[in-house]
Amino acid sequence: MMTQMFATHTRSSMLSGLIGFVLILFLFFCQSALGQDLRIELTDADGNALENAVIELVLPTELKSSYQSVLAEAIDQRDKEFVPAVTVVPSGSEINFPNSDDILHHVYSFSPAKNFNIPLYGQGENDSFVETFPEPGIVEIGCNIHDWMLAYIYVAESSLYALSGEDGVAVLFDLPAGEFSLRVWHPRAAASLEDLTQTVSLSSDNMTSFSLSLELQRDRRVRRAPGANRRRYR
Amino acid sequence: MTSIEKQSPPSGPEAPAASFASLFTFKSFRSRLVVFLLCLLLPVLGGIFYYVNQNNEEYTEETINTYLELGANVFDFTRQQQAYTLEAITGSLTWDFGFRAAYATNDPATLFDAALNVLERSLGIADMLMIADLDNQIIIDTELQGGEMLIGTWLELVQEADASEEGIAEKIVTIGEDPYQLIALPLYLPRQVAWIIGGFALDDGFVQQVSDTIVSDVSILRLQPGQPSEIVASTLITARQPILLGQLQTEADYFDNLQRIDFGDEEYTTLLRSLYQDPLSGGQILAAIQRSYDENNENVLQFRNLLIQFYSLVIVLSLIAVIYLARSITNPLSHLANAVKRIEAGDYAKQVAVRSKDELGELADSVNSMASGLAEKEKVRDLLGKVVSHQIAEELLSNPVELGGEERTATILFSDIRGFTSFCEDLPPQEVLEELNKVLSCISDIVEAHNGVVDKFQGDAVMALFGAPVSSRDDAVNAMAAGLKIIAEVGSAENPLSACVGINTGLVVAGNLGSANRLNYSVIGDAVNLAARLESLTRLYNVANIVSAASKAAAPDFVYRELDEVQVVGKSRSVSIYELVGTVDSVTPEKQAELALFAAALAAYRQQDWARAREQFTQLLETCDNRELHQVFLQRIKHYEDNSPGPDWQGVYTFDKK
Repeated sequence: MMTQMFATHTRSSMLSGLIGFVLILFLFFCQSALGQDLRIELTDADGNALENAVIELVLPTELKSSYQSVLAEAIDQRDKEFVPAVTVVPSGSEINFPNSDDILHHVYSFSPAKNFNIPLYGQGENDSFVETFPEPGIVEIGCNIHDWMLAYIYVAESSLYALSGEDGVAVLFDLPAGEFSLRVWHPRAAASLEDLTQTVSLSSDNMTSFSLSLELQRDRRVRRAPGANRRRYR
Repeated sequence: MTSIEKQSPPSGPEAPAASFASLFTFKSFRSRLVVFLLCLLLPVLGGIFYYVNQNNEEYTEETINTYLELGANVFDFTRQQQAYTLEAITGSLTWDFGFRAAYATNDPATLFDAALNVLERSLGIADMLMIADLDNQIIIDTELQGGEMLIGTWLELVQEADASEEGIAEKIVTIGEDPYQLIALPLYLPRQVAWIIGGFALDDGFVQQVSDTIVSDVSILRLQPGQPSEIVASTLITARQPILLGQLQTEADYFDNLQRIDFGDEEYTTLLRSLYQDPLSGGQILAAIQRSYDENNENVLQFRNLLIQFYSLVIVLSLIAVIYLARSITNPLSHLANAVKRIEAGDYAKQVAVRSKDELGELADSVNSMASGLAEKEKVRDLLGKVVSHQIAEELLSNPVELGGEERTATILFSDIRGFTSFCEDLPPQEVLEELNKVLSCISDIVEAHNGVVDKFQGDAVMALFGAPVSSRDDAVNAMAAGLKIIAEVGSAENPLSACVGINTGLVVAGNLGSANRLNYSVIGDAVNLAARLESLTRLYNVANIVSAASKAAAPDFVYRELDEVQVVGKSRSVSIYELVGTVDSVTPEKQAELALFAAALAAYRQQDWARAREQFTQLLETCDNRELHQVFLQRIKHYEDNSPGPDWQGVYTFDKK
């Protein structure tokens, strides 16, 4: 699924393909150079700190095995919202979806990366049930009862990823030196994932640090309204 | 000259003016009143009618306008409401997990069936569904239009929805023949993954639904440049649809304005509303909302008819009232006119029968009292004519009746009837009066025939005036002639009566004598007294008449005999007295000889030649009928022979008693 997901990217950009090839060769020769840090400060177009942005260093296949790990995460459902809104896990990780509300929820995803569906369940149910996310990609989960409930699961290829906090800063530690592709993703990013892919050059004994400004688009999602009536007569 | 002018044809600018003026010349008071009333009433009623009608029509227009505006709003509302329903249906589709799952399977055939299922369940609210992904690629289309990508209006629709805050947009699009109301909204999975476009046809079912709500006819029209307009859906009966197309003004100026469509038997007020205009092709979808003007105007028409009936009643009643009023004036007036005509003709007897207390009644009363007055006056005149002579009556009536008089020369005739007393002795008083009246009437007639007036009757005596109140040159002559005639007429009758007459001419005072309350026209003066004396002297001289010298001088063309010269009682001067013998023609030669002898005898008498006088008077005594006259002189001669009158005696005989 991941190749499928990124296939459009490589297909569309000859340039990035060439760069990727060069990067692979370069990283092959400098693989022993460890301990590089990458710090990226993300802002929106207005300069505000951008939370819940994900950065992921794309590793060549031969390096991937060195950075493989799986996690067991949980996305809670509290007060009819998914918490947290954005979760990043390496591929193969398991995520548990407990229900902390006193009503039923119906978690689903039709995302190509992971299509699943946990029909109605209440508090305390499915506490030990986990879904495994083997395919890298972005999984949008919703609740079939509460349309506004929306959470994102970023399934990364390796463990080299970071999620920006409230200060908009995302940091990757102990990176191999070399030139790599850096994926940048945010739920409301206006540009496509491919267009946001950066090339970073990591040299040894150095903290690479830069800022990135993202153009955001309107969040195309159902908004949670305080009242029952979403619409009124114009 | 006047008649020529009248007959000549009218010329110049005066002619129309004259004929116009003649329009307002009325022969009767009634038509004048009627025209006046109509001139007064019609403009007022007409004005009121116009105002009321105008207001009513404006009100109707306003009402219809309001209805149609309301209708248009309801139309919009219904369309909106239906769009919301559509949105709800379409929206619920996006929340349907099965549909979400079907979408996620990326299986268009399943989606298509699911969409058809939804259309079925919508109970006719939704007529079509289309799903397109965010790259504007059409995934399913229940109308099977065959395109792969959203284009044109469809693309605009989703772009509009995309640009909107809520991600929803509406548009009207023609699919095949029918205009569709479309709504586009996102399909969340849970983020937006596609556009769902739902639509319902603005067809007969739709217009019928709206029509049921707003109780007006609704039609939806499509206009394409270069093509004839067509009616897509309509609640109008089929026969009326071409008429609507033919008459409807579809220029943009007419949008949201009212226009009238005449369906022949009924007129419809029409509000045109633009539903959609395609910016590319220029094609338009219009809604025509119509309401029967006549139906709305029915009350107004009813009111107008009522008003007309009421006006007719008012006019008729007014006309009746006016005609009655006119009659109440003209009838008495014509009565009065007839009465006045009768009065003019001298008929005072009939009273005008007008029994009203108004001015006409007063006028009628006045005419009646005038008639009575005139009748009384006429009676008075008549009576006056009988009591006094006609001329005196005229004089009295024509001049202010007041005491006093004027001096004038007049001839006074006194007439008396001899032998009346003895005549009366054997007769009852009634017959006496009858006989007397006969004689007096005869005398009166003779006097009047000779332009004299009878001043008064005094027993069997008559006093007549010639020269008063009206004088003429022949007064004395008339008096003489009248005297002769009286003597002749009275003497010729079968009865043994005879008349004696005394005539004198002189200055008299003529006028009204008496008191302020009771007076009569008469003459007074010495001349009157003398005339009376002369009349009474006739017995002494045994002649039929005696006239004074003044009268003789005033009427010299008669034959007279000087009788004597006398001094009457109360008079200092002596007067010559004459017997009127007759006209010149009537005196015979024998009479002339007698008169000559009498004159000679009188002359001898005056010269105191008693012997000669006696001889001559004796001769006359023996030859004439009138012995008494000569006897008078023979006695005087005898008396004077014994008692000489003296040398200064002029032959005047003095009467020392009346």
